[in-house]
Amino acid sequence: MDSREPVKMSRRKVIKMGVLGTAALSVGALGLTGIKSKTTSTVQAHEEGEQIGFLYDQTKCVGCRVCQAACKETNNWEEGVEWRRVLTSETRKNVFLSISCNHCENPACANVCPVGAYTKRTKDGIVIQNPDKCIGCKYCMYACPYQAPQFSDKTGRVSKCHFCYERQDRGELPACVENCPMGALKFGKISELRKTYGETAQVPGVPEPEITNPSWVIIPKE
Amino acid sequence: MHWHWLIIIYLFLGGLGAGAYLTSFAAEKGWLGKNSSLTRIGYYIAPFIVAIGTVLLVFDLGQGLRKPWLLIGLLSNPKSVMTWGVYILALFIVIGLIKAFLTFKNKTVPNIVTIAGAILALATGAYTGLLLAVVEAVPFWATGIMPILFVVSALSTGLSITSLLAMFIEKEKFTEGREGLAHIWLIAAELVIVAVFMGIMYFGVKGPVARESAELLVSGVYSLVFWGYFIGLGLVFPLLAFIFNQLKARKLSPAKKGHHSLLTIVSDISVIAGGFALRALIILAAIPVWESLTIY
Repeated sequence: MDSREPVKMSRRKVIKMGVLGTAALSVGALGLTGIKSKTTSTVQAHEEGEQIGFLYDQTKCVGCRVCQAACKETNNWEEGVEWRRVLTSETRKNVFLSISCNHCENPACANVCPVGAYTKRTKDGIVIQNPDKCIGCKYCMYACPYQAPQFSDKTGRVSKCHFCYERQDRGELPACVENCPMGALKFGKISELRKTYGETAQVPGVPEPEITNPSWVIIPKE
Repeated sequence: MHWHWLIIIYLFLGGLGAGAYLTSFAAEKGWLGKNSSLTRIGYYIAPFIVAIGTVLLVFDLGQGLRKPWLLIGLLSNPKSVMTWGVYILALFIVIGLIKAFLTFKNKTVPNIVTIAGAILALATGAYTGLLLAVVEAVPFWATGIMPILFVVSALSTGLSITSLLAMFIEKEKFTEGREGLAHIWLIAAELVIVAVFMGIMYFGVKGPVARESAELLVSGVYSLVFWGYFIGLGLVFPLLAFIFNQLKARKLSPAKKGHHSLLTIVSDISVIAGGFALRALIILAAIPVWESLTIY
């Protein structure tokens, strides 16, 4: 993409946010404090304004599954679903893959979902699925190449990783990233991750990234 | 995988109903010859068949019996093929009921209603295939051939169910036009499409995962259903039977042409059973690009 484009966009956004912010402040003055704080977080996030993604360093991962446990604890997984999984290589020793949702640039789940339960945030590209809208048709489970959306028989609906967006909005780290003892999981702007660590989004066994253009970078173990 | 019998029945009934409507539409337009008795029955059954399939689908949804009010959301994503389907099926059922009611009352039906119904019927048949064709993560489904295959199967099964019911309902009045030929052409076309589709999948044009799915049908767990039930009973047998009937009918005097044999009845049932087998095989043999989540 043209490098000038985002600058132009963001300038327009700044003005827009300013107007919105002023409006919200005046509403806030009327006593609706909730709206005010929401706007503040939008303004903060605007500074990012770019697709974020996970960085997974296969060379550092020891397969301890703390990321999984932290995710489960933080996000109260519904029975039978795993928002993050740690896969073990079939052929090599001590080779793992910690995977959740890749918040794809072209999320197939969002395209197929008939009830529009999926939204991709413009400010950071996080793909958020709202389980309260889900009717349990499971179409997204076929569409996603990474099996990120998962169905709970107990609740009859799908849910998936949302990159701890509420924590991020509060300025905290995603639970998996924060708790990984080896520093194998990180996150950041995908363009910068790719620049620094390469563009690997596939290791042997993983489907080709062309299907959905996933926002993750893997540092593969040789 | 995640979809099972209710989805299979839904896809099958969607096609069957759409095909039944189009059969009567074709008969009404005179495309099946002057003597066709199929001008009404297809209209009568079409909206009900599709409606039954749609109701069954509700039971398959995780929230169908828990929070059914969430289903209103089905209308909300214009990008989703499933949302398109909800609109298409709902409209088809409504238009189909109007058409059926007016036809039953022997009233003249506005041309616009009849044609809208036909377009929606075609859309219903195509939708059942398109629903699968857009799923790139299941390579066995991700081909433009899918909607074509499903439409042809819809027409074939629709013609069969309509003929079958017409035989029993119209009884002595039952006469045939060119239905026999229509049967032959549709089944032959379906055989060719299936051959192309399976060829593409089996020879790895769509990758190793699609090939794996194809192998399930050709030589794997579903091979008996595929070769015996679908290809043999559902396509080849009725094709030969209809050809046989056609040749025999030529020798008979025109007065006797209306006669329907046991062979025709069995063939029609075969075609319908084959159409069901097709939907079942396509759904059950689906393998996603990364099924077992293995890494090497």
